[in-house]
Amino acid sequence: MLIPRRVKHRKQHRPDRSGAAKGGTRVVFGEFGIQAIEHSYVTNRQIESARIAMTRHIRRGGKVWINIYPDRPLTKKPAETRMGSGKGSPEWWIANVKPGRVMFELSGVAEPVAREAMRRAMHKLPMKCRFVKREVGEA
Amino acid sequence: MSEVVIKAESRTDFGKGAARKIRREHKVPAVLYGHGTDPQHLSLPGHELLLALRTPNVLIRLEGAVTEMALPKGVQRDPIKGFLEHVDLLLVKRGEKVTVDIPVTVVGEVADGILDQQMVSVSVEAEATHIPEGVEVSVEGLEVGTQVTAGELKLPKGTTLIADPEALVLIVAAPAAEPEAETAEGEATEGEVAEAEAENEAAEASAEAGE
Repeated sequence: MLIPRRVKHRKQHRPDRSGAAKGGTRVVFGEFGIQAIEHSYVTNRQIESARIAMTRHIRRGGKVWINIYPDRPLTKKPAETRMGSGKGSPEWWIANVKPGRVMFELSGVAEPVAREAMRRAMHKLPMKCRFVKREVGEA
Repeated sequence: MSEVVIKAESRTDFGKGAARKIRREHKVPAVLYGHGTDPQHLSLPGHELLLALRTPNVLIRLEGAVTEMALPKGVQRDPIKGFLEHVDLLLVKRGEKVTVDIPVTVVGEVADGILDQQMVSVSVEAEATHIPEGVEVSVEGLEVGTQVTAGELKLPKGTTLIADPEALVLIVAAPAAEPEAETAEGEATEGEVAEAEAENEAAEASAEAGE
């Protein structure tokens, strides 16, 4: 599971959910990708689950890239606790994904296999996504 | 090499308000520069430009407000819907040599292993009116461990390589073993974070005590 080794601050504010992705909107490493078309916090468990779904389908061969990293902690107060007494304890590690972001990339497999592998991975992710291919030779 | 004629209009209003107004009319704000001339601000028809830009390094012949030839230098698209937001055009003259990136396409199937294409485009110098659409690499029957470098690419006549000839274009790698033994690593990472968190808590506690 992806978790930061060291963090400067254990508890952070919740990341901004507005706007679209400013970079990482194209497939650059592999041939195919999963692009987010909605906004969401993606936890490290969801990333891992999607990766496993993909690699199990492609079996041997193929290479997977994960372009997002869950470097933001989210906190949660325990159940049935009165308000106050400070911020809750870190509960999840999330990546703040904005629309347009290519989260996973894949290469080394045929397109039908890649489509199915990515369809399976998309079911593990919390937002609407789509399958994208690398564009050839754009300036 | 394809050449597309596009009618250009001059643009006098600037800023996001004016740019959005142009986009609402299904046009694309563009800028044309090069050869030390002052940049010229244009608006181009959206659909024609979108179709033209499907060809890599398409040579655009502008008519109307300006009569020049240009190459697309930078294309900004909406990340979700894919429409064109802005285009940078580089002024070129007939017979002039330009440096462009042309796509590298793979043909055939490798005999064994996985094809790992490291370079999807390669920098070349070519005449502006004769830019190749791409370069093909045949991988038919290549064995595991075979490498193809930029210097080994068969470029069309009149095109010279600008990229490092030693740069790796593709390699045929051995197929990876089925990945399953990964839980132990994950647990180790979690343990490290738990340690880091404990350290942080201790540091915070000592800082509070110091205050």
